[in-house]
Amino acid sequence: MKPALRVGIFVAAILSALSSFGGARHFTFLYEANTSAPGSLELENWVTWRHATGPGRFDQVDFRHELEYGVTDKLQASIYLADWFYKSDPEHSGSTYSDTAIELIYNLTNPVVDPVGLSIYGELRAGDRLIELESKLITQKNFGRLILAYNATLESVWEGRDLDEREGEFSQALGASYEISPRISAGIELLHEFVFPEWRDTEKIRNFFVGPNVTYRRGNWFVTITALAQATDTQDEPDFQLRTIFGMGL
Amino acid sequence: MKKVSIFVVLACLLVSCESTNYVPPVTSQMATARKGQHAGLPMLREGRTLFVHRCIECHTLPVLWRYSTEDWPAIVDSMSHRASLKPAEREAIVAYILAVRTRQD
Repeated sequence: MKPALRVGIFVAAILSALSSFGGARHFTFLYEANTSAPGSLELENWVTWRHATGPGRFDQVDFRHELEYGVTDKLQASIYLADWFYKSDPEHSGSTYSDTAIELIYNLTNPVVDPVGLSIYGELRAGDRLIELESKLITQKNFGRLILAYNATLESVWEGRDLDEREGEFSQALGASYEISPRISAGIELLHEFVFPEWRDTEKIRNFFVGPNVTYRRGNWFVTITALAQATDTQDEPDFQLRTIFGMGL
Repeated sequence: MKKVSIFVVLACLLVSCESTNYVPPVTSQMATARKGQHAGLPMLREGRTLFVHRCIECHTLPVLWRYSTEDWPAIVDSMSHRASLKPAEREAIVAYILAVRTRQD
C-alpha cells in the first residue's frame, strides 16, 4: 500500500472517530444567524467556479479550506487556511495563492423564538499584496420548515504593491430554503453587489445574481450547492457561478 | 388590490408556518405535569434554550407532536453527538420536549 494512501486511511479513521458537527449550511452565498455548538470543530471546503463569456472571458475556480470552531454558545471562530484559485483566460492560465483569513461570528438573537435572528460577523483577510476587512449583519427567520435569511455586507480592500489600490463593496443577499425532508433542503439565493473602485461611485457598478440551491446532509457531513446566473450585464463579472460547500465534523 | 391579496395570502402562509414552529415557553405547570419524572424549571428552561439553538444548526425544528413520547429520547440521542450535546444537555432537551408533549396530551 502506498504511504500516501495509508496516511489518508489513518486520517479518515481518526476523523470519523472524533466526529462532532458544527452544523449544516442551507446557503452558500449567505450566512445563517445560528453559530456552532461550543467545542465543535468542522472542516469546510469551498469550491466556486466562475465563468464569463464575451471579450473578457475567463474561467476561474476558487478554493477555500476553512476550519470552524464553536467557542461559546454565541461565538464562533473560523480560520481560512488557504484561499487559492485556478484561472484560465485567453492570455494565461495557472494557480495562485490568494490569502488566509480569520472570521468571527457573534449571535445576538435566535431565529426561532425571537422576532428575528441576528448575528454580527467580522473578517480579516491578508495575502500577497492584499488586505481586506469585511463586516456583515446576518438576519434569519425560521418559519416551520422554511428558512429566510438576509445578509448585508461591507467590504474594504487594499491591494497592489504598496496596498495603494482601494476598493469598497456593499452587497446584500437574500435566501430562502425549504426543508423537503430531514436530509434535503432546496431554495433560492439572490446576490446584489454595489462596487466602489477607489471608494467612489462614478462607474455605477451594480451586479445582480440569482439562482437555486440544494443541500444534502447525512451523519456528520453535508454538501450545499448554489448556481447563480448574472441578471445584469457587467463585463468583468462572471455570467455564471457555481459554489459547492462540503462540510465535515472533525 | 391583487397585490394586497397576494400579500395577505403570503402573510397567512408564513403565520401558519410559524404556528407549526411553536416552541412553548416553560411554565410552572410543565414542571409538575410529568408524573414520576423530575424536571425542575431551570432544567426545562435550559432544555428549551438548547433545543432552539443546537437543533437548528442542521435542520429546522420538527413539530413536537410528530413523534410519540416513547420515540423522542431515542431521536434526541441519535443526534446528540453530532450536536455536541453533553449527557445533561441531552436530558434537558428530552425533558423539555416530553413536558410540552405531556401538556398537549
